[in-house]
Amino acid sequence: MKKGFIILGICLLIFVVWRETQRKRAPHVFLTTSGRIEMCLACHQERPSKPHAREVVGCSPCHNGQPLRIDKSLAHKNLIFNAGDLHVADSSCGQPACHPRRPEWVKKSLMATNRGIIDTLRRYWGEANKPCPDTVESLLKSGKNSLALDYFRKLCGSCHLWFPRGKYQGFLAQKGGGCVACHLVPNKKPKGHPFLTLNIPIRNCARCHNRSGRIALTYQGLYEAEGYGTPYLHGDFGADTLLDGRFVQHIPPDIHFKKGLVCVDCHIKEETMGTGKSYVHMVQSLEVQCTSCHGGTGHTSKGHIIPGFKKEKGRSVFIDHHQKVHPLKPPLPIACRHPVHKNLSCQACHNRHVPQCFGCHIRRVANEKQLDKLSGKETPGAWEEFRSYMRYKTPTLGWYKNKIVILVPG
Amino acid sequence: MTKWLSWGVTATLLIATLSGIIISYPYHEEHPLISTVGIETVVPFGDFFRALHYFSGQLTLLLLWMHTVEALIKRRAQSRPWWSWSILILSLPAILFILFTGYVIRDDETGFSAGRIAEHLALSIPWVGKYMNHLFFLVSQDGVHRPWLIHVYLTGLVLGGTGLWHFRLRLLSLLDLGCWATICTALSLVWPASLVAPQETTLVKGPWFFLGVQELLRYLPPFWAGIAYPSLPVVCLFGYYWRPRLATLSLLLWALSYGIFLLMGACR
Repeated sequence: MKKGFIILGICLLIFVVWRETQRKRAPHVFLTTSGRIEMCLACHQERPSKPHAREVVGCSPCHNGQPLRIDKSLAHKNLIFNAGDLHVADSSCGQPACHPRRPEWVKKSLMATNRGIIDTLRRYWGEANKPCPDTVESLLKSGKNSLALDYFRKLCGSCHLWFPRGKYQGFLAQKGGGCVACHLVPNKKPKGHPFLTLNIPIRNCARCHNRSGRIALTYQGLYEAEGYGTPYLHGDFGADTLLDGRFVQHIPPDIHFKKGLVCVDCHIKEETMGTGKSYVHMVQSLEVQCTSCHGGTGHTSKGHIIPGFKKEKGRSVFIDHHQKVHPLKPPLPIACRHPVHKNLSCQACHNRHVPQCFGCHIRRVANEKQLDKLSGKETPGAWEEFRSYMRYKTPTLGWYKNKIVILVPG
Repeated sequence: MTKWLSWGVTATLLIATLSGIIISYPYHEEHPLISTVGIETVVPFGDFFRALHYFSGQLTLLLLWMHTVEALIKRRAQSRPWWSWSILILSLPAILFILFTGYVIRDDETGFSAGRIAEHLALSIPWVGKYMNHLFFLVSQDGVHRPWLIHVYLTGLVLGGTGLWHFRLRLLSLLDLGCWATICTALSLVWPASLVAPQETTLVKGPWFFLGVQELLRYLPPFWAGIAYPSLPVVCLFGYYWRPRLATLSLLLWALSYGIFLLMGACR
């Protein structure tokens, strides 16, 4: 018995020696600039953008794991691939030393709750007669369902921040992911660490804001055409296609786009990421108005400062995210400030042509299955959307909250 | 059983000491965590020897605890003079303290917090607390220097003491030592020695045997939870020589209550 133990011991020692010859030791103990040990850097050479530089932040504050180990199986224990995922963001992006409370607020923003979409659907479909408390998070936790919610789960359920990034193929692959849904810019190098940015490109916003109001498309001068790619030009489709296969034609873009401004130049963080308040509809969340900058003081309707607005030599200017300076024109004294126009919204005159979608209708095929994008499972009932026609024309004007505004079917 | 256990304690303590000497070369008490991570990741065979040191130390405590229980069951106290029994009893808190300082001197999340807690517990002792802290800890001012010295010196003292006791009976056979070395090696190949990175958290769990004290600290003042209550079994073991029935009953009650607190602490 004892001799057997000794033989086993010798075998184990041989294994220890063999294992040592197979492993790659770290050249030294890796430290960040603050003196924290980050052995992840012994293997990982990725370089994120400057604010999250490897020498300063390291890997583990965002991606968790075990920063004191180098054996892959030990070091990657409890690893988080997407640190921006809202399920973990409180302890990654939102940790006290980095962006405290921000994920908590973002979870209450409309981009995370989708409360407006859910509320509108449920009330229009006769399932509720007062504002619904349902949010994406509550639906994920409860699994609650109904006809309107089934529609939401299957057709709208990918345009929210809780959507798991990279879980699905095709155009869904880049959607969602919590903080990174907006702040991530892919690295052009294969397997390179993506960059996190405050200069959020329009394409990140357009991944979701391309249906219904289609605001991110219209802003860039893209008009979702009929689904045929017509008129054909040079023997090919006469329109470009979006990632999901829809055809778009080019129209004159918004003047702000022409000048180089992106969505987040105007839409400040209090609007997009929230302030911890829970709103039902987007109109309650929006606070930037044209007059905040044009003739205004650079403050939103809720008193928040617009960072790009500056006063230079007595003139109002706007400095965009690329540090380009734009002079700001005040509203025209006669056309805009004349008493007969006092009830006109800016858009009523300045949006001469607007893409409009008429005759929206949907069909549910009961004996077919479709992916429920919240639960990630195929469930009975497949929804299909149809429309009668698209038009790029002068919009209808209507009366809303003591203002004449444009009314656009979407 | 008696021989197996007593030689097991000696053999594992010897393995822990030898492996400790090896890893003490790359260890620097001025940079405890950096050098511990260096042992794990940079030094060839470093993680193996550290795991060997860790598991042989844990085994020493477990085997000594079993050895003590066996000695109580077989009423060995009565067969030797009171001073001899008292010296043997002292080896249990000494090993526990060596193991505890072993956690402190690696200065990871567990060790750092354990050191701070121990310092405050020492200071809670009336009259002599300040001197005890200066002797054993003072980690907040002097880093792990004192726990490191205690870890080394006390190991030598205990090894010398138990060695003297056991080797006067019979020399430890190499075969026995080899068997225990195999067990320690096997353990160190299956599990890595614990090392917890500092993190943003509101709950840090101490060494496994300390979890009961940690839990008690939620309900009682530091002196009663961290000094008086953990000292009770040592007092009972001393008293066993004169009042075996009362001491046994007290020990059982203490072990039961501590087991419950330990479980509560582990489940947090």
